[in-house]
Amino acid sequence: MILEAKDLNYFYQDGENRRYILKDTSASFEKGKFYTILGQSGSGKTSFLALLSALDSPHSGTVLFNEQDIKQIGYEKYRRNNVGIIFQSYNLIPTLTAVENVLVPMSITENELPEDKKTVAYNLLDYIGIVKSKADRFVNKLSGGEQQRVAIARALATNVELILADEPTGNLDEEMEQEIIDIFKKLAHEHQKCVIVVTHSNEIALQSDQTFSLKKGVLTADE
Amino acid sequence: MNFIKRGLLGITRKKGKSLILLAVIFILGNLISGAISIQQATNNVESTIKERLGTAAMLEVDYEEIEAMSEEEWMELEISNIDIDLIKQIGGLSYVKYYDYSMSTAIGSESLESYQGEETEEEHIIWDGPSMEFTLKGINYAPVVDFEEQKGKLVDGRVFTTDEVENGSAVAIISNKLAEKNNLNVGDTLTLNNAVYDYSESGEEELIASRDVILEIIGLFEPQSAKEDKGESSDGGMMDFMDIDYQNTVYVPNEVVSSEERYYWEEYVKFDNDYADMLVEDDDLEYYTPIFFLNNQEDTEAFKEEVMPLLPELYLVVNASDQYEDIAGPIESMSKISGYVLLVAVIATVLIIGLVVLLFLRDRKRELGIYLSLGERRSRVVGQILIEVMIIGMIGISLSLFTGNFLAQGVSETMLEAEHDQFQEDMMVYNEFEIDLTTDDVLESYEIQLNSNYIVMFYVVGLLTILVSTVIPLTYIVRLNPKKIMM
Ligand SMILES: Nc1ncnc2c1ncn2[C@@H]1O[C@H](COP(=O)(O)OP(=O)(O)O)[C@@H](O)[C@H]1O
Ligand SMILES: [Mg+2]
Repeated sequence: MILEAKDLNYFYQDGENRRYILKDTSASFEKGKFYTILGQSGSGKTSFLALLSALDSPHSGTVLFNEQDIKQIGYEKYRRNNVGIIFQSYNLIPTLTAVENVLVPMSITENELPEDKKTVAYNLLDYIGIVKSKADRFVNKLSGGEQQRVAIARALATNVELILADEPTGNLDEEMEQEIIDIFKKLAHEHQKCVIVVTHSNEIALQSDQTFSLKKGVLTADE
Repeated sequence: MNFIKRGLLGITRKKGKSLILLAVIFILGNLISGAISIQQATNNVESTIKERLGTAAMLEVDYEEIEAMSEEEWMELEISNIDIDLIKQIGGLSYVKYYDYSMSTAIGSESLESYQGEETEEEHIIWDGPSMEFTLKGINYAPVVDFEEQKGKLVDGRVFTTDEVENGSAVAIISNKLAEKNNLNVGDTLTLNNAVYDYSESGEEELIASRDVILEIIGLFEPQSAKEDKGESSDGGMMDFMDIDYQNTVYVPNEVVSSEERYYWEEYVKFDNDYADMLVEDDDLEYYTPIFFLNNQEDTEAFKEEVMPLLPELYLVVNASDQYEDIAGPIESMSKISGYVLLVAVIATVLIIGLVVLLFLRDRKRELGIYLSLGERRSRVVGQILIEVMIIGMIGISLSLFTGNFLAQGVSETMLEAEHDQFQEDMMVYNEFEIDLTTDDVLESYEIQLNSNYIVMFYVVGLLTILVSTVIPLTYIVRLNPKKIMM
């Protein structure tokens, strides 16, 4: 068990009332598996992922990474050493080239990385489907699918075992979407990563090893 | 791609913004550097002029206080003398390099012709009253402070010995010009005439008594006024007058002067007994003017503070450098203006650069959020922005270092001209220190310099100002929430 959510509660204060987005939510995730979290728009998927990625903190409950409370690890430290995050809107730095974007987290993390970071970054991009000529372009000169590949490469650059993605194909057409999903599958099954993808698409959910459904603040494991 | 490299790329990859920031810093930097240039120049003027004014200090009656007195207070007013013991006590203070106290009197001569300047030789003004053309100046400090302080210079013979001063020997040092005029040399004697007149009635003076004062010449001096070599100087009249006065001064031991004073009053009392009580005590005839020379210009205030409590009521300490304020009007007002400009420029810089940086940061919100989401420490994100701003700041400051200094030259020339017109009468102060520095001297010593002092000062002030102005918008980064930005 690489990641475990235990009794997470998260709400927004709505005047006198608390509007619960997550209520006593628990789930656990293993390495080598591709998970999807399925829910309608506004169901709280992003909120849940923000808690798993330590971009936000729950009102109660804990997130354990390798049995350790991420609060104890330290949110910032957890983010730079233990998790790779992929966003719907790519969130790349437009003034940097693709390969430079991949190099950014490599200088932030404290994880052991090979000496020649640049070569690693190029190889990683190549593996994800960005050839060298495109790797040297500024990211706003790349297509949406290519930008999301760069974002995936960036998430992998620190050599983490846990990849979290928030509707990573939300802005892409179906063909691109499938290519990205294939990458996630490969990462889980060939590279033993734990990949958790938040989506509202049933087609994607069907391709995952395990799907959780999020409805009215309650998370249920399918099957 | 660590935060330092990111900072450098932040500058080169966003050239437009970098140039805008550079332009803003450059413009404000010119204001700051100009103001600092002028400040430094005015400070230099103050220290060099004060240096030239010297370290002399005198004890004076506070006339302002007396003028402010009511009539009754005034009637009861009694100003005590500064006695020799007090002078010696003050002279013994550690600040004092050497000191003297002096008693002077005007005296005439029947055999000696006074020096009347070079040009007026022919048209000698004939004054057929009793002539008192010579000043008998008593000294106590044997090497003569006027010579030590370069007011005059011994050109022949020697100065006094301590024995001569103590015994009141009949020896004198006179000016070279006076000696030439009367064909006198070191070793010769000269005869002055202490004449006692009665002026009281009818306006016609009447000789009561007189005696000769015979003095042996032991040395000759020449005035060393800075203005001497100027020849046809613009302020001719007054200078000549002062020069003639000094050429006709005869230096003698204090005792010589006081014995002549005593003779004068004794004879006068014989004639008019109303003044008899003046002679009750010997001391009453002894009005010494003390003058102290300090080791350092910086000691002036400390010396004042230590001496003030020792002085009798109504006395105060006056320093030669006090008159800096009188002659340095234009410089002082420039110093003030540049001080305000500096203050305003610094405040404006903090506000404007703070605002510009804040606007740029808001534009880069997403980028900053990305660093934070990747687990970058906030301190390093702050560091990256600081590097970006400070490097541009360094360039802007370095450019304005020269241009601002250059501008300051032009500006201060114009300002000084305008100021000088206001101070047209060319302030020059004639007082007991006999220092002949004018506003022109002050303006002449004004110079905008590009020296290390200025450079260090400007970099410190400039970079600190930019630093402060950047720190304010940086609090924006500290409060960024990456989740809100990115999800
Ligand atoms: N700042 C906020 N204040 C109040 N409600 C919010 C705020 N942000 C999100 N919500 C609500 O929380 C719910 C869950 O949002 P989110 O986690 O983004 O859902 P999803 O990602 O599944 O679309 C939504 O109903 C949304 O309206
Ligand atoms: Mg969402």
